[in-house]
Amino acid sequence: MSSTLSQPLAPATAAAPRSRPPARRRRPARAVWRSVWTGALTALVLVVVVYPLVWLVLGSLKTQPEFLNNPTFALPESWTNLDNYVTAVTDGNLGTYARNSVIAVLPSLALTILFGVAAGFALEVMVWKGRATTLLLFLAGIMVPGQMILLPLFTMYFEVGLTGSLWPLIITYTAIGLPLTVFMMATFFRGVPREIFEAATLDGANVLRMFLAVGLPLVRNAIFTVALVQFFFIWNDLLIALTFTNRDELRTIQVGLLNFRGQFGQVDYGPTFAAVCLNVFGTLAIYLFLNQRVMKGLTAGSVKG
Amino acid sequence: MRHVLGDRRAIALLLGPALVVYTLVMLVPVVWSLGYTFFEGNTITGFEPVGLDNFARLAADPAVREALWFTARFAVVLTIVQVVVGYLLALLYVFVLRRASGVVRTLVFFPVVLPTVAVALLFQQLFESAPRTGPVNALLEAVGIGGVDWFASGSTAFWVIIAMETWRSMGFYAVLLYAGLVDIPEETLESARLDGASGPRLVRHIVLPLSLPVLLSSVIFSINGTLKVFDSVLALTNGGPGSQTTPLTLYMYQTSFTYGEYGFGSSIALLLTMLCLVVTLFIFRSSRRDLTKA
Amino acid sequence: MNPAMQRRATMVAASVAALALTVTACSSGNDSSDGGSASSESFEYLSLAENTAVKDTLTALSKDLCRAPQSEAPLEVTTQPQASFDQQLQLLAGQGALPSVFATGNSPEVIKDVHGSGQLVDIDAELEKLGKSDAIIPAARSTIEALYDGEVYVLPTEFNVEGLWYNKALFEENGIDAPTTWDELDAATATLAKAGVTPMAAAGKDGWPLTRLVGNYLYRSLGPDALQKVADGEAKLTDPEYVEAAAQVAALGKAGAFGDSVGSIDYTTAMNQFLTGKAGMYYMGSWALANFNDPSQNTVGAENIGFVPFPAVEGGAGDSTQLAANIGVPLAMSQDRFDDGAKAWLDCMADGFGPQSLTAQGVVTGFAAETDADLPPLTTTVLDQIDAADQTVLWFEALFNPKATTTATSNAQLLVTGRMSPEDFMAAVQADLG
Repeated sequence: MSSTLSQPLAPATAAAPRSRPPARRRRPARAVWRSVWTGALTALVLVVVVYPLVWLVLGSLKTQPEFLNNPTFALPESWTNLDNYVTAVTDGNLGTYARNSVIAVLPSLALTILFGVAAGFALEVMVWKGRATTLLLFLAGIMVPGQMILLPLFTMYFEVGLTGSLWPLIITYTAIGLPLTVFMMATFFRGVPREIFEAATLDGANVLRMFLAVGLPLVRNAIFTVALVQFFFIWNDLLIALTFTNRDELRTIQVGLLNFRGQFGQVDYGPTFAAVCLNVFGTLAIYLFLNQRVMKGLTAGSVKG
Repeated sequence: MRHVLGDRRAIALLLGPALVVYTLVMLVPVVWSLGYTFFEGNTITGFEPVGLDNFARLAADPAVREALWFTARFAVVLTIVQVVVGYLLALLYVFVLRRASGVVRTLVFFPVVLPTVAVALLFQQLFESAPRTGPVNALLEAVGIGGVDWFASGSTAFWVIIAMETWRSMGFYAVLLYAGLVDIPEETLESARLDGASGPRLVRHIVLPLSLPVLLSSVIFSINGTLKVFDSVLALTNGGPGSQTTPLTLYMYQTSFTYGEYGFGSSIALLLTMLCLVVTLFIFRSSRRDLTKA
Repeated sequence: MNPAMQRRATMVAASVAALALTVTACSSGNDSSDGGSASSESFEYLSLAENTAVKDTLTALSKDLCRAPQSEAPLEVTTQPQASFDQQLQLLAGQGALPSVFATGNSPEVIKDVHGSGQLVDIDAELEKLGKSDAIIPAARSTIEALYDGEVYVLPTEFNVEGLWYNKALFEENGIDAPTTWDELDAATATLAKAGVTPMAAAGKDGWPLTRLVGNYLYRSLGPDALQKVADGEAKLTDPEYVEAAAQVAALGKAGAFGDSVGSIDYTTAMNQFLTGKAGMYYMGSWALANFNDPSQNTVGAENIGFVPFPAVEGGAGDSTQLAANIGVPLAMSQDRFDDGAKAWLDCMADGFGPQSLTAQGVVTGFAAETDADLPPLTTTVLDQIDAADQTVLWFEALFNPKATTTATSNAQLLVTGRMSPEDFMAAVQADLG
């Protein structure tokens, strides 16, 4: 364990060499004790987080009788029993659900971010009467429970003829994501020194160019943070997806997971876990792919008012 | 200069789309739903005006009080637990693991992306007491405390929900708070160390005050999520046993869509919205004040 | 800077691809919905996502016996999970957009409301017009009439009788006979508990398997009209003779009838306890025959399972020939969509649904079903019981509103674990009955 006091991976300066601290001169016994303690603590954290995931994978390999009759934490009897995965993909229509989730989530994410960043800019950087009130209006949206808007929205979508497609999901997700996005983006723009924008106006840039060329790059990491937060909210949504998807070929993954339940409350544990695992590993792949950026985004663009 | 930043067409163009979508899909339905608070009925039976009856019922209904109490208790406890655990993890990343924290951060963060239905299933098994003894009870029996039938009463089920939500979200808060810790200037820490501060003292007197702003925004995040908890409770306990773990959101959903009393349901939603509004404005104001000081 | 630019390019490309996907997917979604509602020619069936039997039966019929109606009005199935089914029905009925035929939801109350708004086909009258009044068997008709205030506006796509299933081998080992009276049930419970077997498997987490016992006790002690009286306001659940039923079931729980932690046992677990010989008795409906007849689930063997009606209560006004019965989640038809195609479908279902469902799905329906197909012996036993039953009774919550139903099922585990007194339990349910 390095005894340097430097902080890890501070995004802009991670590569810069840090000064050596005086801790170096401490007694070796203490350092050993310290690293044992560190190791134990880390191991504990990892067990708490990882073990349930391992259990999930084990569960996906078990048959229903195995699941019900063997101890909860027994290993599966066969490591190559992939029947559950086959069931999940064929009977469970997992491919369709995953596609629907992607189709519903990505566009609404893009729209939320686009609209939200622009609105945040207009509310924080631009100068006009009533902007504080408008910001509060958006802020109020954070408090509204999703259950409250279901009935009116259902009526509206029905009248407009959008029922029976994924548009209700896309539109609702976009709108529900806006309050938090606008609020957070406004906060980020507040952190940018005003002189930057004022200098840009002196250079004669028009507002839209300034937004695209000056504003956006400044909050790039922040955008990533917000996108990440919104992604998890939308991806894990059950309430809205349940209400607005009325046919099987429109279901999202979260709703689809309910399909492994029977009419009287019976649960097909194996296929459920297999479906969850596929979902989890799919997400994990995306996540690992984006991980560096995610962490940097969160790190650099955290909400600091 | 002032008029460039005050260009009305540009403002309309930037703000317009967000405002239009937000108004149509959130504000209009909210106002529409608020209108229902003066009616009772549902879409099948039709709506009848009932004046202020729903508000009288809101004040008198013991189930509302129970749900309100659960919601408040849940939001306060979970906010404290998940922010504190997240903060401890962040401290672990920054001061103990340091450069090696990358992998740990990634792993601890990961449960955030798991579907609620799956996590609930997992925790049901973890805390199972019969017919098989789940690992938590096995552990309790091993240390001689004896197993607990966790889901048999609201007071123990409450802690299972807290544990589940903490497990799910601690990595998220850890990374959020980690960001705040990393931003503390090295020189500040260095000079504090030269003054002889170390360990808990360093954290308490230097680190904690400096990470207050990011702590406060975590609290805002957390309280808003926890006051509106729905999926997790639905999947884990479905509000039971009895209605002992029913939050306002679930009671509202049941009232509107299962019991067919949309007017009363809307009144419950209004109560919840007011609660969120008051709490958030309170934290928001104190956070802004703190920031201007910082 | 370069890697960042690359990443951005990838993300732009990804979002463009996503948008392209969206456009195609949404337009195809719109097309299918236009085909569904605008022409109103299709025979649209809204199914509980959890129920596949009805969907499979209708699909099989559309390819065989019901080819004619199928060509006139093609079958189109949409599904909605149970969790949001009642909500969906409310929303659709509110828009006057009910599908041609649909499952009636979790609580009978919802469909009564829809019927009250005049949106449903009078099935009885239509069957009479078709000259097929006897398509629905008498037992099922009596159950429907008891449920829906004497009217028949639903199709009984299931007909289930409920009672006490028991493990013959376990009973023999412990020297007990199948209980025919409540006292014998008490005694059997005590014997089995002493022998270290869970006397009765029950999914306390779901609640309804426990309240079923309360309801049945009421029917036995106070007679088949016990709960109708409550619905009509002539009696209250808080009356002593009603509280007695809750007290008896609570006493059963206190005697260890349901084993430990009944509240954390779900449907699948309870079923498995019984089918692996870990529980002596199991109160359940005949829909469980599918599980009983499946050797991979049933390790004690179908021949080892016996059935008795719910035991009689000494001196009670009811008796054990009055079988508890239900019609599962019946179907209703929308008046707006009752065109010639839908009529032809009704005509065909009256003839074909029963036999098709029984032979292909093993599900007993409320439709007449003469069949010479080879049925598993346990199924035959149940069919005989149905034939012999001249009167059926409902279940505890059958005539309750949804709120009282939720209160009853969610508090049931508290009742049997002694955390809620029988008086409080009945008072809580009565309060929600309004």
